[in-house]
This record gives sequence, structure tokens and C-alpha cells, in this order.
Amino acid sequence: MSTATDWGAVRAVVWKDITAVKRSKAVVLPMLLLPAVMLLGLPVVIGILAAGSGPMNVESLLNGLPSNLAEPIVSLPERQQAVVLVLGYLIAPLFLIIPLMVSAVLAADAFAGEKERRTIETLLHLPISNRDLYLAKLLSAFLPAVAVSWVGFACYLVVGNASAWPVMHRLFLPTWLWTAVILWLSPAVAAFGLGIMVRVSARARTSQEANQLGGTVILPLVLAIVAQTSVLLLAELWVTLVIGAIVWSVAIALNVRGARRFARNTLATKL
Amino acid sequence: MADVAIRTEGLTRTFGAQVALADVSIEVPRGEVLALLGPNGAGKTTTVRLLNAVLDPDAGTMRVLGIDPVAAPDELRRHTGVLTEHAGLDDRLTATENLLAVARIRGMAIEPARRRIGELLERFGMSARADQRVAGASTGQRKRIALARSLLHDPQVLFLDEPTSGLDPAAIRDVVAMIDSLAAEHGRTVILCTHFLGEADELADRMAILHRGHLEAFGRPADLAAGLWTGIPASLELGGIEPDVAADLVRSLRGVIEVTVDGSVLTLQITEREVLARAVRELVHAGADVFAARPETRTLSDVYFEVERRRTGHGSTPDPRSSSGTQPHIPPPPPPPDTRNTQARS
Repeated sequence: MSTATDWGAVRAVVWKDITAVKRSKAVVLPMLLLPAVMLLGLPVVIGILAAGSGPMNVESLLNGLPSNLAEPIVSLPERQQAVVLVLGYLIAPLFLIIPLMVSAVLAADAFAGEKERRTIETLLHLPISNRDLYLAKLLSAFLPAVAVSWVGFACYLVVGNASAWPVMHRLFLPTWLWTAVILWLSPAVAAFGLGIMVRVSARARTSQEANQLGGTVILPLVLAIVAQTSVLLLAELWVTLVIGAIVWSVAIALNVRGARRFARNTLATKL
Repeated sequence: MADVAIRTEGLTRTFGAQVALADVSIEVPRGEVLALLGPNGAGKTTTVRLLNAVLDPDAGTMRVLGIDPVAAPDELRRHTGVLTEHAGLDDRLTATENLLAVARIRGMAIEPARRRIGELLERFGMSARADQRVAGASTGQRKRIALARSLLHDPQVLFLDEPTSGLDPAAIRDVVAMIDSLAAEHGRTVILCTHFLGEADELADRMAILHRGHLEAFGRPADLAAGLWTGIPASLELGGIEPDVAADLVRSLRGVIEVTVDGSVLTLQITEREVLARAVRELVHAGADVFAARPETRTLSDVYFEVERRRTGHGSTPDPRSSSGTQPHIPPPPPPPDTRNTQARS
């Protein structure tokens, strides 16, 4: 097995997959629906609620937060407290669902979708090593997942600031927490989910089977772990960075192991 | 050996308890067409997957263009082209995009690849569909696009799995001519998996018959025929002589194995073609009118059906007796005496 990665071949597979996915409504629509609701719908609703109602009592919520996080919010005018708390902090962990979901949808399509369309054999007969093929399939799901997260985040910043403007009268997003979550933790979570889903996809016969296996068994477990650890994100920035580093380490380990164990022979045996 | 494109020895592959290929040994010189024949499940596709390093063998060795597929799979695949049974095109991409993706994976620069794609799509009559999504293409159109894809990099060895299925007669003629030209004029080696014996007959230099993973026969059709039958068939259409008298006259000639009479036609089994010429001379000398004298060559189809007949005649699969080199490998003869194969050809 050659040691050097053939980036030309990897890029070609990624280009093919992304071009095809962009034209597949069945893949694109579910992939964009949740981000649209979370990144655009939620800030609009929060903004309208905050602007339309009187000051919301968030004291009990703030009391439950670490003091270093609560203090800057408590110092704000009462009407602004709820907006900053919800849009600036509480939603952040939920954003981790987006890269996880998008990457899962694409990863299910990576190998199982190719089997279903009977295009996988063509790919297996081409001069691309097992490792490069795994890497290409990983990137075909990872890059769009991160792109959707980042583009979605940019939209969230605009919509969040705009909808909260009547209350805030200033730009208050992004916070440092947001920046760390989106740029550091979110790609790590996507890579973590992919470490599992690409292997599921390689074993499943159809993308539906991969989605079912991934969506009903594996991803809920991952989500539960994310939910449990997301409380920690509200503590300090460094905690977010450390959690990100841990998730990255696990994701890299999973994918390196996945790439090493990925074999054409196994895949072709099930054709 | 430089002029051997493919060599396998004892190639074996199982899927669980199922034997997909058992102890198969073949050798195909460069520039030849090998027809891989056999019913569904015979092991044809498994053979192609093994030879192109998509599957690993359980036992045996193989070399393709001198390369060990197990040791250098990617290096091998740079020199081979494959048309899979299903065209394997992504419906969401256009014909050009499908081919361009493969060209880029093969390391071709974009502009030369686009030119080559244009040429090949033109050659296969697919220019009009070049920039349309494959989703709307017919089976035959998909097959032609996939054929163009398999030729993008001008491979040294071409594996074609059912290349003409789904094509119209004109397209079949073109594809058969193209395969013939690739082998005969350009020295490419072609492994042709097909159920169409007529096509194999026209193209194949060698044939391999597989049944449930076992190699039933391998070699040149003429060599296999020589092992299957004693002598070659011929017929004489006569007038101006009593058929029985003519039969007795012909029977007395050296090299005539058997003569049967059917009206004015004598059907012969002779040891070589020249015997027929001798028979014609003798009959003319005896005052007979010879309207037609036809030595017949056993075709690949004849060999295929005879091998099948012998296999089923035994009631079970004979032990695979693999052959190496160019020696034909044939099944044992059947219990009843040899008869002229009159089964319909595919």
C-alpha cells in the first residue's frame, strides 16, 4: 500500500460526491431543514418575543449558571438579559446537532448510497487506494457538514443581531463561546459522528439501512454524550477548547482506525 | 513472460461456504480476446474482480501485465479498464461529469480529459447526451457511456462484462468491431464476459467455460474442438450418382472416419480438410456431379454446447482439471458415441 495520499484522486471523488449531492433533493432537503429552523427560525422567534413582551424573568436561570458567565448578563438591562442568555449562550450546544446530522445524512450516502445506485463497483475498479477512498468519502461528508454549520452560523449572526436589535440596539453576536463552538468544537463533533457513520455506511446495503442503523442506534448515543457534556460548555471558554480537543482526539482515532480497517475486499464481498 | 497478459494458477475464492472460484489456472497472451463463458453464478464476475484486485483470492497466484494484483493493486488498476455488468453511472451527473470524475481519479489533467471524453462520446454516438444527466438515458445509452468510460485511459487490459447487452443491432455491430480492433490492431488484451455466444465466436481467440466456479474448459476453440470430437465434419451435395454408391466410394478413402447418407447429401467425418478435396476428385472421376462440398469448422458455440452436454450428461460437475500455458483443457468424453452437434447456436 502506498504511503503518499493521492490528493488528485481524493479531490475527484469529493467533487463527484458533492456535485451529485447538490442535485439530490432527497439528501439536500432534510440536510438543510433543521439548520434553517435552528439558525434562522429560532433567533427570529426569540427576538420577536423579547421585543413584544415585557422584561422576562431569567433570574432563576442565571442563578443556575457559573458566576463568571452570569455576572456580565446580570449587569445588562433586564430586557436584554433573556436575549443574550438564550441567543448568546443557551442555544450554542444545540448547534452541535447540525454538523452531526448533516454529516450523518451524507455519510449514509457515502458507501451505502453508492451500493444502492450500483455505482460502487465502478469506484472499486479505479486506481485509488483503500485509504484514499475512505478519506475521500469522509471529506465528502465532512466538508459540507462544516460548510453548512459555518454558513448557517453566519446567517444566524445576521438574523440574531437583526431580530434582537429592537431590544439590544447593538451587535452582541458572536460571543467567544459561539466562536469556539462553531470553529473548533462543531467540526470535531462532525468528524466524531463520521468516524462511526462512514463505517456503518460501508457495512449497510442501502442508505436507508445506514440511516436507520445510524439514526436509531448510534447517533442517539452520540447525541446523549454531546448533551451531557454540553452543560460544561457554559462554564469557561477553555473548557470548550479542552472538550473540543478531546472530541478531536477521539474522532481522529476513530477515523484512522476506520481507514486502516477499510478494505475493498470486504466491501466487494457484499456486492 | 513479457507477452503474457494474464496468468493465474490455482485461483480460488469462496464466500462463506459457497465456492465462487475453484483452482482456476489460465494464461492469456497479450493482444488476445478471452471469452469467459458460463451461466449466471459461474464465477465470471468474481474472476474479473480478482484479476483487477477488487477481491482478494483465498488461494492461488495471479499476474496481470506482470503485476501481482494483491501486492500492487493500484498500480495494476492504472493499466486496466472495466465495464461492469451494470453501467454504474451516477444518474445525478451528466455523461461528461461521470467520465470526468473517473478521468480525474485516474490522474488525467482536466483539459486533455475533456478532449478525450468528447472523442469517445462522439465515437459511441453519445455526443448529444454529453451534457445531459444520465437519469434520462436508456440502458443502451448508459452502456455506451460506460464503455467510453472504460476506454478513457487507453487501458492495456480491458474487462468487459456483457458489453453489448441492451444495445441495438447497429450498436452491437459497432462495439464488436471496436473490441476486435482494440485487440487485433492495438494489441490490447480483452476479457469478455458474455452470454452471447455469437459475439464471443466472432471475437474470442480463447475461451474459458466456468460452471459454479470450476473451469470446465479453457483454450482455443479449435484446440478444444480437436479434443472433443474425432475428425471434422463436412458435407457433399451430389447428383448423377446413386448416393449409396457415392457413400461406398468415399468410405474407401483414407482419412474418412464416418459417412452418413441423407438423400443426395453425404455427411462425413474426416481427419483433415484435404480429405474432402480428395473425395471430390474421386467422385468427379466416377462421373458424379458435385454441387457443394463444405468442410465445417467447429465454432466456439459448438464447443460450449458440447462441453455443457458432456457435463450434464455425467449428471455432475466433473473435477476441474486446470491447464496452464496454451494447452487446451477439456472435459472427459461422454458415455455415448460421439455425434454431430446440431444444437442451435446463440
